[in-house]
Amino acid sequence: MKFINEHLLACPIKQHFRIDCPGCGFQRSVLALFEGDLVRSFTLYPATVPLMVLLLFTMVHLKIDFKHGTFFIKILYIGISLIIIINYIYKIFTHQLS
Amino acid sequence: MSEEQQTPQENASEPVISTPQPQNSGFNYGIQQSLPNATAVLILGILSIVTCCCYGVIGLILSIVALVLSKKDRALYAANMSFYTESSFKNLNAGRVCSIIGLILNILYILIIVGFIAIFGWAALNDKEEMMRIMESYR
Repeated sequence: MKFINEHLLACPIKQHFRIDCPGCGFQRSVLALFEGDLVRSFTLYPATVPLMVLLLFTMVHLKIDFKHGTFFIKILYIGISLIIIINYIYKIFTHQLS
Repeated sequence: MSEEQQTPQENASEPVISTPQPQNSGFNYGIQQSLPNATAVLILGILSIVTCCCYGVIGLILSIVALVLSKKDRALYAANMSFYTESSFKNLNAGRVCSIIGLILNILYILIIVGFIAIFGWAALNDKEEMMRIMESYR
């Protein structure tokens, strides 16, 4: 775990410009989730938990083929994209970008 | 009877009385298949939103690939509806919706970066101290 923490893929935009991009915080958030820290994961990147749910649900859906599975996938996907956009706008207005 | 066994699943309309063909035993006795790229389109569409932490370019490529594949498969399904399963068509449509949203998100992402460059200027973005000063002035 410590090894991964020290060798995260650096965001090229953040490295270059020192401004967060819409995807920044995702890796840290996933690591926090693996460590079991849900709250920290949410504050770092709110879309991580729904994204994980979406990935798992898609795997299960492709195996078992639920009746309304595709509907849930679409709704989840739209929700996640909205979360990402709203989170980024919130970050801009609360000056958390750098 | 022996003739029917020699011609496999081409005659989809005729009821198959004989034992199912071994290579298609999982799919409704070989009458219906799933679309060839439905799963790939769904997975690519979802991955296009996950890989948003690399300039937005990778997600853009993935979603465009998914859209092209889904267009092909939709044409296949429209040409021969009874040959493919409906659930795979639903998967395909979900993947198409996902890849369209992913495409929009990735384009937005690139626009945001272009907007940064337009607002602050390329030289200021490459200069650490200048950038710190700009960020301080916004606070």
